Amino acid sequence: MKKIRIALAGNPNVGKSTIFNALTGSRQHVGNWPGVTVEKKSGYARLGEYEIEIVDLPGTYSLTAYSLDEVVARDFIVEEKPDVVVHVVDATNFERNLYLTTQLMELGVPLVMALNMADMAEKAGTMINRSSIKKFFEVPVVRTVGSKGEGLDELLRTAILESETSPHHEHAIGYGDAIERSISDLGAAIGSDPALAARYPPRWLAIRLLEGDENVKDKIRDSPAAQKILALLEQSDLDRTEAAMADRRYEVIAALLPQVCTTCVKEMNSSDIIDQVITNRYVGIPIFLALMWGAFQLTFAVATPFMTAIDELFAYCATALAESGAEPAWLMSLLGDGIIGGLGSVIIFLPNIFILLFLLSLLEDSGYLARAAFVMDRLMYAIGLPGKSFIPMLIGFGCNVPAIMATRTIEDKNDRLITILINPFMSCGARLPVFVLLAGVFFPANAGNVVFVLYVLGIVVAIASAWLFRKTLLPGRPAPFLMEMPPYRLPTFFTSVRHMWDRGYMYIRKAGGIILAGALIVWFLATFPYGVEYGSADSYAGMLGHLLQPLFAPLGFDWKIAVALLFGFIAKEIVVGSLGVLYGAGEDEETLSAALLADPSLGPVTAFALMVFVLLYMPCIAALAVIKKETGSWKWALFSVGYGIAVAYILALVIVHTVPVLSGGI
Amino acid sequence: MAALPLLFLSPGAEATVTDVRAGHGMLCRLAAMGIHPDSRVSVVCSDRGSLIVSVAGSRYALSRGMAMKILVNSAGGSIPCRFSK
Repeated sequence: MKKIRIALAGNPNVGKSTIFNALTGSRQHVGNWPGVTVEKKSGYARLGEYEIEIVDLPGTYSLTAYSLDEVVARDFIVEEKPDVVVHVVDATNFERNLYLTTQLMELGVPLVMALNMADMAEKAGTMINRSSIKKFFEVPVVRTVGSKGEGLDELLRTAILESETSPHHEHAIGYGDAIERSISDLGAAIGSDPALAARYPPRWLAIRLLEGDENVKDKIRDSPAAQKILALLEQSDLDRTEAAMADRRYEVIAALLPQVCTTCVKEMNSSDIIDQVITNRYVGIPIFLALMWGAFQLTFAVATPFMTAIDELFAYCATALAESGAEPAWLMSLLGDGIIGGLGSVIIFLPNIFILLFLLSLLEDSGYLARAAFVMDRLMYAIGLPGKSFIPMLIGFGCNVPAIMATRTIEDKNDRLITILINPFMSCGARLPVFVLLAGVFFPANAGNVVFVLYVLGIVVAIASAWLFRKTLLPGRPAPFLMEMPPYRLPTFFTSVRHMWDRGYMYIRKAGGIILAGALIVWFLATFPYGVEYGSADSYAGMLGHLLQPLFAPLGFDWKIAVALLFGFIAKEIVVGSLGVLYGAGEDEETLSAALLADPSLGPVTAFALMVFVLLYMPCIAALAVIKKETGSWKWALFSVGYGIAVAYILALVIVHTVPVLSGGI
Repeated sequence: MAALPLLFLSPGAEATVTDVRAGHGMLCRLAAMGIHPDSRVSVVCSDRGSLIVSVAGSRYALSRGMAMKILVNSAGGSIPCRFSK
């Protein structure tokens, strides 16, 4: 068994992860917007006697890295030196990809080009001559269609062959006499440190230095030859050189392109008209809001029959359990109140989460996501963030953890930090059960609208907080907006369902793991010390609740809610699970909805305040951990907890005390 | 054949980039994305301050400030092919 390692590199949104999934059988998230993959992912494939490690890299336009995800991609190629780099190229947009090709060629890595989305290019009439590419670029080319798995075996075979062909010469672009002289001078200086020259190809290093790559400058700083190299660098006019080198690359590309592709000139197409409408100054934001509103209405309409079915199933189990009269009583209570009451009340809402995730994946796969960022750019810029920050915010509707990771594509450090800190205000799928439950009970006629209002409130609080952070803690101006708008694609039902399942499965696993555990802890607290009445003030839960209750008294939340909110920190669904356990104290047939409605301490206003509190009060444990990881400090993670609680408390207080006055005045 | 900032083009207009007057990091980035002297751009829409342009089949959203730094030759509309020099 021989082992080789290949890396999938290329521009953003060309289908690297789709190929990766098809080769390794993984289920990495894919979508139609640049920046879906922000971290390298490994998987394995087998072909003949080879075991092949495949590394999927974040997309990058060039080997000069600007944002964290690009640094990940570049460092892997340069530092870890995979046996072969597979340059995945979007065949429908061939020319643009070639800039990175020239840089990879200069690096001298064994290179294979995968001409991906070839079916779409052929349909559009683009003819790319693969043998000419091989001739002019000296790179083997394989036609692939990642989404259908075409050409992937050949891709692996070609990569294996390329890994065994040695040595690899650096395919050079000539930069003209003046620049070439600088390159060879620098190359000689680099060559005087053999360790450095062995690590990085000297010519490549010289070129990167002349292009003013700060990151590469850091790489030579410890070398004994650093002084000499930096002195040489001082002598050249970097700004002019850099522009001249980019020009030269394009000259080479422009000269070669007609030889390999005669039809690569693009015409305007239908997405122009769509773009002119949905990004229009006046209707852009209304269209976005209308889509969101429609999504929540649909979430309710489609989920209701499923919810009823699940509800009946659990009700049947509960009744059967109660009627069986089996012993011991504590076990019956554990099954009835703890598991059916706690876990069941969360599982009922899985249909809502799945439908929301389905709609979210339509948003991602169609290409609208990037447009939404563009539509919001003016507003975002006014509050001090680039429009790009809106993408992680929308991803947060699914789950804040990947959303916070998605901020890696934001180049500026403060822009990114603000985007991370406001993300927990974007209402994730885990909060949906709380809203659906309470809105369904207290606002039965307008549940969809109430949930829509909560999501919009989340966006408003996020944006207002961003403005506040920009004005106080993290001053600066947002980096200029520059983002690729992916082509519109009609999402297929099957792929969207698969994306929904891949993400929704996480919620099912969570329900069987941490949420079940949370429900059992609350049940335990509600049952013991031994002999007390279940869920009464004398139980541990009652004691804990009454200890916390004074804190929540101004908001009108009773002790049961206080306990639920406390455990909701672990995962927001547990708020519902805990209420299910604690309100299970009543008669056996009583559902959680009926029990909540019967509770005198809860009315529409308090329920709305509670939903607002749950929306904002703090990131869950998983989100907190990822905030710590991505910001690199506990300081910001704890800040987000404190800030969230303060905002949630103040807003809930305002609602509880102003809404009755306002409505009383009518 | 006067050069003017990309921002001043109206939607639907096509032009050839003549100069990119950006700082050196941004220059490199724009070049890697296909926006460099001699490349053909067309403006898809520009009514919100920022604009969407189409370059070699890719579509980019640019902020106004950046569109000011990209100079184009608006009379370039008559050049039939990008590769004729």
